Amino acid sequence: MDDYANPWLYRLKWAYLLLIVATLMAPVMYVMYISFNANGFGANEYEFTWNWYALIFSDKLLLSALRWTLTLAVVVTLVTVPFAVLTAKHYKQTSRKLPVVFLMLAPLFVPPDILGSALLVFFKSVNGTFVMLGDALGTSALDGLFRLSFWTAVIGLIIYTIPYAFIVILITMGRYRSEQTEAARACGASGWRAFWDIEFPQIRPGVLSACAFTVILVFNEYTRTSLLKGGFDTFTTVLISQMLNTGMSPQSYAMSALVSFIAIVTIGSIILVTLVRAESLARAKRARPEPNATPAVPAE
Amino acid sequence: MATLSTDLPGGRKGAAGARMERWRAVAARWAFRLPLVFMVLFFAVPMAATVVFSVFERTMFWMEPGFTLFSYENFFFSARLENFLTSMKYSAIAVAICFVLGFPIAVFVRRSVPQVAQHRVVLLFILPFMVSEIIRVFALRPVLQRNGLVNTTLMDLGIIDEPITALLYTHTGVVIGEVLSFLPFIVFSGFLAMEAVPKYIFEVCDDLGVGPWRRFVDVILPLAAPGIFAGSVFIFVNGLGVALLPNILGGAGAVNAGLIATQAITALDFPLAMAVSAIMLATLMGLLWIGHRLFDLTRILTPLN
Repeated sequence: MDDYANPWLYRLKWAYLLLIVATLMAPVMYVMYISFNANGFGANEYEFTWNWYALIFSDKLLLSALRWTLTLAVVVTLVTVPFAVLTAKHYKQTSRKLPVVFLMLAPLFVPPDILGSALLVFFKSVNGTFVMLGDALGTSALDGLFRLSFWTAVIGLIIYTIPYAFIVILITMGRYRSEQTEAARACGASGWRAFWDIEFPQIRPGVLSACAFTVILVFNEYTRTSLLKGGFDTFTTVLISQMLNTGMSPQSYAMSALVSFIAIVTIGSIILVTLVRAESLARAKRARPEPNATPAVPAE
Repeated sequence: MATLSTDLPGGRKGAAGARMERWRAVAARWAFRLPLVFMVLFFAVPMAATVVFSVFERTMFWMEPGFTLFSYENFFFSARLENFLTSMKYSAIAVAICFVLGFPIAVFVRRSVPQVAQHRVVLLFILPFMVSEIIRVFALRPVLQRNGLVNTTLMDLGIIDEPITALLYTHTGVVIGEVLSFLPFIVFSGFLAMEAVPKYIFEVCDDLGVGPWRRFVDVILPLAAPGIFAGSVFIFVNGLGVALLPNILGGAGAVNAGLIATQAITALDFPLAMAVSAIMLATLMGLLWIGHRLFDLTRILTPLN
């Protein structure tokens, strides 16, 4: 029995798929809906307002948290994505693939709290060792090296984001034919030139999606950041501590809605751009006649 | 490269160039390994170190080197073990629900959606995944509460007379949270796993008159098993390890390994936190080893090579 024999079953399956997506998105949408209500959650009357959002942008603490979050996201992306590209290229060449793939994908399977506490204790003890070492050598240069700080949070988040970036880039690289690099090298291009001029333009969509993924994952991450950060707050840590300490306030609905909204718009626009690009490429391909087709035959 | 450098005029300069070249080749080779070195230093070593730290002796604010199994005793001979096993049970239930709800979607997309559009359909599931998990979990509170979305809708429709209170601050709440958080993963991994099931399999089964159930159990399941297993392990382990799920949605007795670890950190009992991490690590390794024995997990990577 194929899908064409029973169109209703086919439509039903589609409806089910969309229903699941809608169910997954429903809580977020509901939060967005509440965030515009002047009376907050559970009120009898619904009154539209931007007020809660205005409150966010007038809050000094939140604005500084937003700045920290963005800095963190940019720094982590600048390390994670080149790392992922390097490793993906290494993975393609090497004959011992299993250790590489294990090391790169294993962080996916380690839950946030476990990875966070393992790294926390690791950094604390390394820091202790370095301070002792510094005392023995009579220098204080080593003291702050692994104290919990911006950089420990960066390291934790690189570990967290690298599997996603690696997979995305590896999948895009799968479509690249390495003969092109060989041809470029045979023409006298250096390894870097061959990569930058020939290979990179073809894997650029993957690299850009990896960047977007990394930024959003860092933006959303709470557990690892809050365990490993030192002396600063990100947007989610402020949000969660507010929620855990004082419960859900109308402002925290607005903050969650804002974070979700940024993520949805970023990913949504990437999906749209990819779709439009694919569409226009396909149209361009259809418009161009086949290279070895005889001119008398109309291109169709 | 080497032929280019010998073109340089002058013998001494050529020798220096060759040395430079050699040095650059070594540097380039290590540049590709730099991320792996990073991962060993800051991921593999800290994870392995949890085992060492877990047998250290606890001091007032920190710990000191030594050998004691006190933390493990503390874990295995207390309510913690019971909580851990209970969270395992509910995590397994969440895996089963995710599989039943999510895997048919992967099969449907692979089978009935045209090849070029398949990735776009799967992209739909990226959308919920990209909204912060924390926010999605928190967002469940107003949905599942006594006067939340689900209860008010059901009451307005006249299906129930009074609100269902079992939806939140119970094990049910945690399972609902796990399913909604991790469902996209079974779709992704199922989609990758279905790469191992060629489309003609469906036609062959039709021609041979095999029903959908036998086709699923005897053909699709064995072929897609490695991917399904990887997705299930992911969900299972995260159900055990994400502390915020029981913290926000669970009630009394809903405590998983992640929550035990973070509570131990808050109480400055670092050896206990490390013992919990080591136990989780052992659970994960054990599961992956069993899976590898049963289905050869390297098969998942075939589409990537």
